[in-house]
Amino acid sequence: MNTCQDLQKDRAAFLAGEMGPERRERMASHLKGCPRCREEVDEMRKVIDAAGLVKGEMEKVIASVDWETLPAKVTDYVFGKMARPRRLTIGERLRRRLTRPVMIPVYAGVVLGLILGSLATYLILNRRAPSTVTENRFFASPEFIDRVELEMTRRQTLDYLQKSQYLLLDLAQSSSRDKGRGMEQLVSGRAKELLAKKKYLNPQLGNSRMAKAKVICDQIELLFLELSQISDDLTGAEMKRIQGMIEDRRLLLKISLVEKELEESEV
Amino acid sequence: MDRERSIRREDIHALVREIQNGNREAFMTIVGAYQQRVFVMAYSMLRNKEDALDVVQETFLRLFQKAGQFKEGCNFQGWLLRIAKNMSVDYYRKNYRKRREFESPKSLDELQVAAEPAPASSSSGEMWDVFFRSIDKLAGRQRMVFVLRHVDELQFNEISETMNISVGTVKSLHFKAVQNLRKWLSPYMGITS
Repeated sequence: MNTCQDLQKDRAAFLAGEMGPERRERMASHLKGCPRCREEVDEMRKVIDAAGLVKGEMEKVIASVDWETLPAKVTDYVFGKMARPRRLTIGERLRRRLTRPVMIPVYAGVVLGLILGSLATYLILNRRAPSTVTENRFFASPEFIDRVELEMTRRQTLDYLQKSQYLLLDLAQSSSRDKGRGMEQLVSGRAKELLAKKKYLNPQLGNSRMAKAKVICDQIELLFLELSQISDDLTGAEMKRIQGMIEDRRLLLKISLVEKELEESEV
Repeated sequence: MDRERSIRREDIHALVREIQNGNREAFMTIVGAYQQRVFVMAYSMLRNKEDALDVVQETFLRLFQKAGQFKEGCNFQGWLLRIAKNMSVDYYRKNYRKRREFESPKSLDELQVAAEPAPASSSSGEMWDVFFRSIDKLAGRQRMVFVLRHVDELQFNEISETMNISVGTVKSLHFKAVQNLRKWLSPYMGITS
């Protein structure tokens, strides 16, 4: 690197008097022998000298300011500013606005609205509750269930009595001629079926309104119990005895009467 | 230029402590000592006396508010001028740039075209205007370094403290500023380049 390039960036500092003595000496001796660098430094000096224009103008402006009174003015301004109440933050302004007395009716209204709203909601929900239950298919009142049970008992008893009637009629009309045609097995099987049905009916017949039906059903049950125990060798005498029992007790008639009564007393 | 009433460094630190306690007299003493330096800094940026005085007020207000942040052992003048520089830049950005454009719509290039090449024909008023426009055209830090060195007459090391940059950077910025001004002012000053 030659001296011109080396010293190029120092020219401005040289003109500003911001250079160490050794480097300054080197620059001065270089400028003596280098017209090109000297010309550039002269041009830069003109620019820096032009700053004197600014400086001169600046001095005029400075002279126009009253520096004696300015410190007091600035001090008053600063202490006046600092004495003023601090500007409130958004949070503080909001809190102040919300806690004004004029807001009390607003809050009262809001609280009242909340209470009324809660009450209305409570009432609406409470009113809807029964309808929800009604819509539930599994719900039925105890009375209704009783009535349904009674009706079912009535129908099942009627069915039992009719089947019993048919069996007794068959027995009453059968003769010794029918013996050996499988009559005994048939009667015994049907009697067992009806006994089983009677077992199922027993708890339901406990109802006081079914008392009459219960009496006749019990009598029939006894008869069927005997019939179910009849073996294949049913003698003509035994058949006669059973037919006699049916007639003596007037079972068929009683059954008809109870049936009629039950049919009429539809629940 | 009568710059300031000189105050010893220890005295300045004591005064700053007093300012922290809200001492009015101490504050006024500091204002009296540094008001011209702060004014020159503001005026060199804004070139308007009233606005520069506003910046002086705002700078000392900021000093009062930030006095607690001043670390003893630091250069007080550098710290204060840094505040003044920032306040001036803020002021300029807020309301000065637009106003200047409105007041002087002619650009530097237009002035250069219209100007006579010989310096003798340029009136001092026009020269003043052209010179300030050239300074305005400089990049922010170049302008600051040039003004602080040649108008405010601060040394490179003082500028380095004020601007919080190294002396080498100050030197480099100063060189670039002078070169740019030389280029832009050549039609007015009989410079050949």
